[in-house]
Amino acid sequence: MGAALADVVVVDLTTEYWGSLGAALLADFGARVIRVEDLGRGRVAPRAPRALHPDARYDYDADLVQRNKQGLALDLDDPSGRELLHALVAKADLLFTDWPADRLEALGLDPAGATRLRADLVYTRGSGFGPKGPDRELPPLDELAAARTGMMPILPQPGEPPVYAGAGPLYTAALLALGSLVALVHRQRTGEGQEVDASLYSGNLYGASLDLQAFLAMGGDRLTQPVARTDAGNPMSGVLYPAKDGRWLCLTMPDTDRWWPGLAGVMGLAVDDPRFDSHEKRCGEYRLELIRVLEERFACHDGEHWRARFVEARLSADVIEDFEHPATDPQARRNRYVLELERPGAGTIRTLGFPIFMSETPARLDRFAPCAGQHSAEILHGLLGLGEARIQELVERGVVA
Amino acid sequence: MGALDGIRVIDLTVWFQGPVAAQFLADFGAEVIKVERPQGGDQARGVRSIKAVPVGDWNQYFLVINRNKKSLAVDLKKPAGRAVLDRLVERSDVFLSNLGPELLASWDLGYERLRALNPKLVYATNTGYGAFGQVDRPSFDMTVQALTGLMARLGEPGQPPIYLGMGSGDAYGGLLSALGILLALYHRNRTGQGQMLDASLYGAQLFLTAPTLQAYLATGRREFAQQRSREEPENPTWNRYRARDGWLFLCVPNQDEAFAKLCRTLGDDALGADPRFAGADGRRTHARALVARLDATVAGRSVAEWMERWRSAGIAASPIGTLADAARDPQAWENDYLLETHCHEVDRQVAIRGFPIGLSRTPGRVESLGPELGQDTELLLADTLGYSWEEIGELKAQGAIP
Repeated sequence: MGAALADVVVVDLTTEYWGSLGAALLADFGARVIRVEDLGRGRVAPRAPRALHPDARYDYDADLVQRNKQGLALDLDDPSGRELLHALVAKADLLFTDWPADRLEALGLDPAGATRLRADLVYTRGSGFGPKGPDRELPPLDELAAARTGMMPILPQPGEPPVYAGAGPLYTAALLALGSLVALVHRQRTGEGQEVDASLYSGNLYGASLDLQAFLAMGGDRLTQPVARTDAGNPMSGVLYPAKDGRWLCLTMPDTDRWWPGLAGVMGLAVDDPRFDSHEKRCGEYRLELIRVLEERFACHDGEHWRARFVEARLSADVIEDFEHPATDPQARRNRYVLELERPGAGTIRTLGFPIFMSETPARLDRFAPCAGQHSAEILHGLLGLGEARIQELVERGVVA
Repeated sequence: MGALDGIRVIDLTVWFQGPVAAQFLADFGAEVIKVERPQGGDQARGVRSIKAVPVGDWNQYFLVINRNKKSLAVDLKKPAGRAVLDRLVERSDVFLSNLGPELLASWDLGYERLRALNPKLVYATNTGYGAFGQVDRPSFDMTVQALTGLMARLGEPGQPPIYLGMGSGDAYGGLLSALGILLALYHRNRTGQGQMLDASLYGAQLFLTAPTLQAYLATGRREFAQQRSREEPENPTWNRYRARDGWLFLCVPNQDEAFAKLCRTLGDDALGADPRFAGADGRRTHARALVARLDATVAGRSVAEWMERWRSAGIAASPIGTLADAARDPQAWENDYLLETHCHEVDRQVAIRGFPIGLSRTPGRVESLGPELGQDTELLLADTLGYSWEEIGELKAQGAIP
């Protein structure tokens, strides 16, 4: 089977987790992603480096965010190193970066400079807060973006500290990949390149879609403050209830007319209970009463009991699990969301797989993260046509590793 | 001009994940035809309140994620209705659905048959739990999020798990679905070959917790799966603190120089000299004590005072705002993350989510908010599908279209 992006060459100038992951999504589907590591003193350091757990036998973060890439290491403070990078960009379809604008400009790889090297280049850059506006140069830290999005205060129960969920980088990585693809498809038709941007802020705001849009349209205090678990708008949707063994249950049945007969049956309530016999009553006059009744009844049995009843009645409700569930779930394995494989030096390991299934061009794991410069010679020779002697000389001078 | 001009998409989706995937395509210029049942259409048209607040005079839930789309009302329970859809399949590039596989099968809308009608078709589904395997259960955002482990690890120990926000997982599933569709279109443009793809809610939400799930998969350490108190963080100076009038996020790396700089801004010389907090290991080991000390100090001044001190010292920090703060943030408006557009339902300008992705040459645009149910049915049948007005009359008589 072929790869969706078999003819796409990407120069990957990324340092942040989310930037590297965005480029990895392209590599997973067959783009030749060349990760350039900067050996120069002016290199960009990650703003929020993630420490590996001390027990780790291998770099599991790199296994995800650098997988399927090729590694090239260049000293970009050296004119020869910059020249090689420029030659590489001239051969590339896409430049994918999360580096600060001033570093890129110093390298001659601001959008105008890069486009001079390759006129139809797709130039994708991720940032903290977007390419315009007063805060465009704030550091790209997801915590800062999440703090400005408005979700942190409303996630917990009232009175609890604001919650940082950490999902922003994942939205942003996928937005950068999607934007790149939109531009590549446009380029297929017209031959035109362009600039693509997304940011941690845009990712966080997108993740907050429905809450944010509701506030934009409806305003009011209720949407900007945490709502107590026992004060939900719809007792059958978006509410958590504790089971007898302390495990948490969640229900999502927005259209209560459709689901009420099934839920009433499972809970031992009369379908025609006059307090709850219409959507208006369940979500209006008797809303809090229904929450109270459900809370009381769920507390009578353990989580597993309720899961079995929910499955029987085909209700949209479940027990809340921890990571043990996906780690051992055959469904996650079967769909390659979690992979189990042999890793040199580490034995059998589990690693995150691919969130998109494609029948003709499936994602595949061709290689783990490259070491710095692992493919330098191959790239300089194969793609840029440098001879062995010249490469040797560059290595000796420390321009290439 | 849009990046996806000339791409026609059949959008047979309801609620949020599928519609928002198609919204990305529509924003960037694809012709997206939302196919709906004549009675009531997409259930999201029926949303009347959110968190017990009435939606008011325009249903933003439906109208924003279905912007830039046309609406074709057709009854797929009727053979004549399915024949209309077949003709549309022959003339489209993408078929997208988030309806249950059994429902699609009952209307004979499986991949194999549609591929026979149009070998170049990109056939995309949003299943709940993946294209393979035995799981066959209803799937809404929160019930799937519950299975990923994402919710269980958030919040203070002993507090209920945390749901990431309304439709947050749907939003991610939709984004990945759009990415899959673009990958398939790119491949098809190059090779002429269509294919099927699936971006499920479960797969997307597992990816949404990638950093911690990956660490758990690699180490099996329970601490990655469990709630962790704000009072016992890995790095006490990278944490949430409450000032006199609100919360702040402080982002100071656990390094001696950075800690010394922070101490100077706090006006607490004794803190910097406290031997317990000397060195990164010390601060990690005595995290609880350091958080308590910082709690006491930060509570003494306002958010504005701290932000002023930290900004001038070059320390990264932000007030923790509400949705109201985001809604008036110039940074969000200047980058088109928020926009104003005309809403025909109420005949006035309204504020909406804009574009999380910027494109310099072919930016996204909003030409209209969500369509009225079936508003484009007759024109699409006549112009795009080539039905005569007599045939259209017949379809109406049969109840295949309204």
